[in-house]
Amino acid sequence: MLALAGCQRTDGESGDGSEPDPEDGDDSDDDVMAVPEVVEVEDPPDAVYVPTHREAMRMLEPIAAGDLRLAPMLSYPHPFWVIAGGGGSDDEVQRVDPDDGRGVHMMFTLWDDESGVVLPIDDGTQLRISRDGEQVGQPRSPWPMISQEMGFHFGDNVSLPEDGTYSVEVTIPPVSTRKTGDLAGRLEEGVTATFEFVYDDEFRHEVVGGVEYLDEEDWGRRGALAPMDHGGGMEDGDHGDDMGGDEHGDGHGHVDDGHHDDHADDSHHDDHEGHHHVPYSALPDVEAYPGTLLLESRADDRPEETADLPRSGDAAFLSTVTEPGFRLADGDERYLLVSPRTPYNRVPLADMSMTVTIERDGEVVAEPTLEQILDSEYGLHYGASIADVRADDTVTITIESPPQVARHRGYETAFLEMEPVELTVPEVQ
Amino acid sequence: MAPDRSSLSRREYVRALVAAGGASALSACLDAVGGGDERSGVDAPPGTDDPDSLPGRQHAWNGALSSDDDGNVQLPAHHVLLALSLHEGPDEDARETTEAALRTLERAYEWSNDGLVFTIGYTPAYFRRYHGSIPDSVDLPEPVALTDRENPTFDEFDAVVHLASDRPEVVLEAEEGLVGDRETVNGVDVETDLGSVFDRLDDRRRTGFVGEGLPADRTDLSGVPDSVPEEAPFFMGFRSGFRESQATEDRVTIEDGPFAGGTTQHVSSMDLQLEVWFEQDNHYQRVSKMFSPEHAEGDLVGSVGERLETTNGLSDERIEATAADARERGVVGHAQKAARAREDGEPLLLRRDFNTGDGDRPGLHFLSIQREIGEFVRVREAMTGADLDVPSANNGILHYIFVNRRGNYLIPPRSLRSLPPADPDSEREPID
Ligand code: HEM
Repeated sequence: MLALAGCQRTDGESGDGSEPDPEDGDDSDDDVMAVPEVVEVEDPPDAVYVPTHREAMRMLEPIAAGDLRLAPMLSYPHPFWVIAGGGGSDDEVQRVDPDDGRGVHMMFTLWDDESGVVLPIDDGTQLRISRDGEQVGQPRSPWPMISQEMGFHFGDNVSLPEDGTYSVEVTIPPVSTRKTGDLAGRLEEGVTATFEFVYDDEFRHEVVGGVEYLDEEDWGRRGALAPMDHGGGMEDGDHGDDMGGDEHGDGHGHVDDGHHDDHADDSHHDDHEGHHHVPYSALPDVEAYPGTLLLESRADDRPEETADLPRSGDAAFLSTVTEPGFRLADGDERYLLVSPRTPYNRVPLADMSMTVTIERDGEVVAEPTLEQILDSEYGLHYGASIADVRADDTVTITIESPPQVARHRGYETAFLEMEPVELTVPEVQ
Repeated sequence: MAPDRSSLSRREYVRALVAAGGASALSACLDAVGGGDERSGVDAPPGTDDPDSLPGRQHAWNGALSSDDDGNVQLPAHHVLLALSLHEGPDEDARETTEAALRTLERAYEWSNDGLVFTIGYTPAYFRRYHGSIPDSVDLPEPVALTDRENPTFDEFDAVVHLASDRPEVVLEAEEGLVGDRETVNGVDVETDLGSVFDRLDDRRRTGFVGEGLPADRTDLSGVPDSVPEEAPFFMGFRSGFRESQATEDRVTIEDGPFAGGTTQHVSSMDLQLEVWFEQDNHYQRVSKMFSPEHAEGDLVGSVGERLETTNGLSDERIEATAADARERGVVGHAQKAARAREDGEPLLLRRDFNTGDGDRPGLHFLSIQREIGEFVRVREAMTGADLDVPSANNGILHYIFVNRRGNYLIPPRSLRSLPPADPDSEREPID
C-alpha cells in the first residue's frame, strides 16, 4: 500500500550546525538533509485525500507590492503536478519531481490589501532570483497552485547552487480577470516587490525536521489537512484535529470555522505572535451567498456547508440564482453564480471553463457561457446574467476543462475528470 | 577574452568564440576550424565585383540560402547583430564610406550560407536624431512594450548590421573587417571600413546560432538542461520556420514610396526558462503548448518536428479552433495562436530568429521582417492571446519566455542602405 519515495539524501542530519563548504557542489557531503524522506499514499482515491504528513515551511514577513501584499513561504523541494488539459489523456497531467535536493519550494500568497481577497489567478507572475547582485538561474514564472495547507498560492521548486542569502524579485502584471465589487477598476497596474531569504543548515533543519506524520490510518482517507496556521509560522503546535472530511464527506469538525474563516470582510487583522496575518484563500461558506441555492433534486435539504454541496470530480459546486437586478447581473436580469471549490477547505478552483444549459419542460431555454470573475464579496466564481429562469428549471453545468492549476499532494487525483452537474431550481425569489 | 578551449567541444568552442567576438576570437576560431590561418584569413567562396548582380532587396536571402531535406529555407548557422552608433550627423562622405565598407563584404564573400548574407537597418531613433522625423512613407514606430508582463529596454542606437553565415569564422572576420580591425576579409583588402563613421557598441552586440544539434551542444550553459533534444535546431526543442508558415520575401517587401524594395525588422531578445519547460512539462504538454493540443493528441509532430515537412500542420480549421481549444482543452499552442494573424491565409512575418548564449544564459533573439511594424504588433497580439479564455501557464509558450529588449528597424533597399535620409525623394537635406 505504501511506497518510499523522494529521498534525495540518506546520510541523515547532524545537529552540529557546521557550515557546508559553499564551493562544494557535491550533495553527499552535506550535513543536513535538504529533503525529508517521505512516505507516499500509493493508490489514492480519485478524490481529495489526506496525505501522510504535513509539510513544514518557513514563513517570511509579508511585503507590500503596490496595492497587493505578498507573503513568501519556503519549504524543501517537493513533488507537485502540473496540468495542461486534464480531462482526457493522462499525459495532460505531469508529476514534477525535484531534480536535485538542493534548493527550496518557493511559494507566496498574494492578496489585495484593502479587501483581503487572495488572488487565485495568474496573469504571468515572474520571479528573478539573485545572490550578491548576481542573477541565479533564469527568470521563471511560478505556477498557480493549490495545496491543502496553503490554499491557492504561487510556487515552484527552485534549485539553489549553494548556501547563502538570496534575493527574489517578484513581478506581478495587472489582473486581467474581470473584477467586480470593491475590486472593480482596481489592480490595473503591474507591481514589483523584493524579498530576501537565507538558505542554510538551519533552514533545512527547520523545514525537514518540521515534517509531521499523521496517524497511519488516516493516510489516503478522503478528507484534507486543515489550512495551516499562517500567523504562527512553523510553530503550529496543535495538530489534534487537523484533518477534515471522512468517508461520507460530511466534513464536520475539520476546519475550525472560528479560526480559519477567511471571509473577505474579517480576514484583515493581525494575529497573535506579532506576525502579520496571512489570509487563506477560503471562499465564504454557503450561507454567505445570495439568492436561491440550486439543488440536485427538489427533495434535497438545502446544504448548510460546502461539504454537503453537489460534487463533480470531488469539487463542491455552490450554484445560486439571484433575484432580478442583482449587482453582478445585467440590468434587471438574474445572476447565475457558480462557485466550485475544494470540498473541505473551500479553496476556489480557478481557470475552469464551464457552460450551462437551462431546460424547462424538456426544452433548452438558455445556454449561457460562464465567465470567470473575481468579486470582493464572493471571491473567485463563474457567472452569467440570465434573462429568464424559473422554479423547476433544470440547470446543467458542463465542465469543459477542469481547473488548470498545479496541485500539491492530496489534490492531484481530484478535479480532473469532472462529470456535468445537474441541478434543479427549487424556487426563484 | 577568448573562451577556454579545454572544457568545450569544438562546436561549443567556436560558438563561444562568435559570442566573444574580436580579433583574438577570430584567430582562435580560424585555428579551431582549420580553414585558414590568421594571416590569410578565412577560406570561403568569394563574392562579386558586380554589385548589380546582387538582389536590390537587402533582405533577399531566401534565393541564395540552402534548403533542408524537406525544402525549407535553411538559415545560416551563425549570427551576429552588430549595434552601431554614429559619431556625428551623416554627410555625403559618411554615406560613401558606409557604402564602400558594405561593398567590401560583398566582394569578399559569396552571397550564400557558405559565404555571408547580411543586412543593415536603421532605428526610428536614427531618423529622429539626424533627420528630424521618422519616414512617413513606412510604418516604423518607436519600439514599445507589447505585453503587460515585460519591461524591455529599447534599441535606441542608430543602426544594426545582421551578419549570418554557416561559418563562424566568416561572421567574426566580416565584423572585424567592417569595424576596421582587420586588413583583409576572405583575401580581399579592406580599403574602407565603418570605423570613421560608427562606433561599435560592444555591450549591445548580440550573437547566436541555429541548426540541428547546436542547442543540445550548449548544455555547458547554466539553465540549459541535458534534456534538450539532440536533433533540435532551437532551444525549445522543435523545428521552426516551415515554408508554409513563413511570409514570402514579396509579402514582407515595402511596395510603394521611396523605400519600396525595403522591409521593416523587429528584433526582440528574451530569456528562456528551459528547466521548467523540459523538466517539469512533458513532451505531450510541450507539443500542446508549442503547436496545438490536437498536435499532441494526434502525435503529429514527432520528437522535434520531424513529422512536419514544410508546414506546421495548422489547417484553417485548427487555427479557427484556437478559442474553442482554450475553453475546452484548457491549453492553446503558440503556433496556433500566432497563425490567427494570417491574412487571406498568408503569414505576415518572415522569421529569422536564432538561439543565443549571450551573457552565458539561454535565450532567443527573435528577428522578423514584415512590410509594416504594425503587422508584427498584430501577430504579437495574436500570440499574447488576451482574448483567449486560457490560463497564463497554458497560453502557448508565454510562461517560458521573458522579453528584455525590443527594437524596430527599417531595412532600406540596397540602393538606400547607406545612411538613408527620412525622405529620399525630396532634395537631400542639408548636411550638418
Ligand atoms: C522562444 C520563442 C519562440 C519559439 C521557440 C518559437 C517557436 C515556434 C515554432 C516551433 C513554431 C511552429 C513552426 C513554424 O510554424 O514555423 C512557431 C510559429 C510561429 N511563431 Fe514562434 N516561436 C517563438 C517566438 C515567437 C515570437 C516572439 C513571435 C512573434 C510574434 C512568433 C511568431 C510566430 C509565428 C507568426 C508563427 C507561424 C504561425 C503561422 O503558421 O502562421 N514566435 N514558432
